[in-house]
Amino acid sequence: MTDFLSQYSIQRWLEMCPQGYLEDTVYGHGPDQHEPEELLDNEVLREASIAVTVQLVAGERCALAASSGLVNAAPDYPSKRFLATQTLDEARHVEIFTQRLFDLGVKKDDLESTIQAYTNPNLVKFAEVLLEKVADGDFVAGVVGQNIVLEGMAFTVFELLQATSVEANPKFAHTLAGTIADERRHVGFGENRIGSLIRQHPEKRAEIERMQGEMSYHMLATFADVFGASGESMDEGRKMAEAHGVEPEATWHGADLAHASAEEMEAVLSDTVLKEFKVRLGRIGLEYQSPKVPA
Amino acid sequence: MEPHELDQDDFIAQVQSFEFWFEAVEGYLGDKPYGRDAEVPEPPLDDLERDALVTTLCNYCVGEAAALEASSGLVRLAPNHHAQIFLATQVADEARHLEVFLHRLAELGITDARAEVERRANPGLLAFKERLLRFVDAGDWEAAVFAQNVVLESMEDTVFRFHASVADPKTQQVLEGVVADERRHLGFGENDLGRRLARHPEDRERLAAVRAELDPLVLRSFEEAYEALGLGRDDRPSLGRDYLHSVERLGLTA
Repeated sequence: MTDFLSQYSIQRWLEMCPQGYLEDTVYGHGPDQHEPEELLDNEVLREASIAVTVQLVAGERCALAASSGLVNAAPDYPSKRFLATQTLDEARHVEIFTQRLFDLGVKKDDLESTIQAYTNPNLVKFAEVLLEKVADGDFVAGVVGQNIVLEGMAFTVFELLQATSVEANPKFAHTLAGTIADERRHVGFGENRIGSLIRQHPEKRAEIERMQGEMSYHMLATFADVFGASGESMDEGRKMAEAHGVEPEATWHGADLAHASAEEMEAVLSDTVLKEFKVRLGRIGLEYQSPKVPA
Repeated sequence: MEPHELDQDDFIAQVQSFEFWFEAVEGYLGDKPYGRDAEVPEPPLDDLERDALVTTLCNYCVGEAAALEASSGLVRLAPNHHAQIFLATQVADEARHLEVFLHRLAELGITDARAEVERRANPGLLAFKERLLRFVDAGDWEAAVFAQNVVLESMEDTVFRFHASVADPKTQQVLEGVVADERRHLGFGENDLGRRLARHPEDRERLAAVRAELDPLVLRSFEEAYEALGLGRDDRPSLGRDYLHSVERLGLTA
């Protein structure tokens, strides 16, 4: 365990992250990169971008609260130190996505009201399930909820957003690339550290599996709401891309990004996240629980 | 634009950001694995000197573990997102301090640091840690920030700066990096509480009472450290006086 945890030290994090892939970035992107003018001038696309970014801020605020709350519950110094790096990663994500809201034209004084207006209520419920475990000081459930379920979801959502932005919005794609690298590290810690703890505490399995089912339900409900409202903005985005001769990356997990409907996009995202959950939970000795399908 | 040219809200947004932290630590941590130049040789220490350094570093670990647990607990209590982000940077700083001191202990041949820290921890410092974490657990932002970012940081700043002036070159470099962080944390505590006290002068009395409770624990920690190091009365530095002078800046008379 000591060898594996040495890969998650502060020193390693400093070398990989601030002195590695974040070097020469400002708010996670190149200093000369900006939101595309076409996006800022198109009210449908601008509002849709604000709505999506608000969900990212809300998710990252939850991750910041969870990772900082888990530091005290961690059973050993190396885990505490890793969670300290994760706390700072999550704070950085809150900061860069908040900055994106400002870049999209949200006024500083309107930040909280904008976040309140656009945050999906199902995402709030998703966060509440996790933060209840953290507040109880339940380290094992907290890390599964945070580093497997929340981070697993974030990782896949960021990958999809990056695939759709890489040509049309290189600034946002660059921002997402750094967060994906962070999330990969967080998921890796969750899988490596929690497997042994689950083996030591098999009695916790049922309760943690129930939590995963509940969080997955709220996640799917969030996806349904977000994609249900995204038809017009997807059409606008494609028109803009076509007008500029930009072809989004052809496929993502089998979905044709240039032509898939909102329903098809929701289905492929949900399937991809749930498949990831199954694999990752299996690695730590937990059985994936199929959530109820949101109405 | 330079930070001092900004209005108060923009100044706070800037200095309490990840970006600001990122630029600050890059300056003094770049090319310094575990807080010091890799090529600095291990100093020749006799058994007594080595044992004294191990005791001192073990107590630094107690202080840094307290700061790590307190600052991470404070993230959820922060009144706004700028303060939350600043505290997240402090969480990483405190974890780094714990890591560099544990690493230094390993270099000195300590294989079970946790047990060694438990064995050598000063009771006064442990009592301080317990009181600090009770403020955090109770959700008392003002008392917890005062105890953590003013009292504990002042104590550490005083001790580390003194120690850096007499330490071997390797330990000295580690301490200098830690002191640079502590000054940022102290600045946050003084700025946050200074603004609060200006708006709510009635809180002075309560924080003065907190100080009256904590000062004796800090001074006791110094005395215990001197005794553990075998320092005679005439050889003891005036850390207590320096600490009291430093914590006085908020004008809270115990």
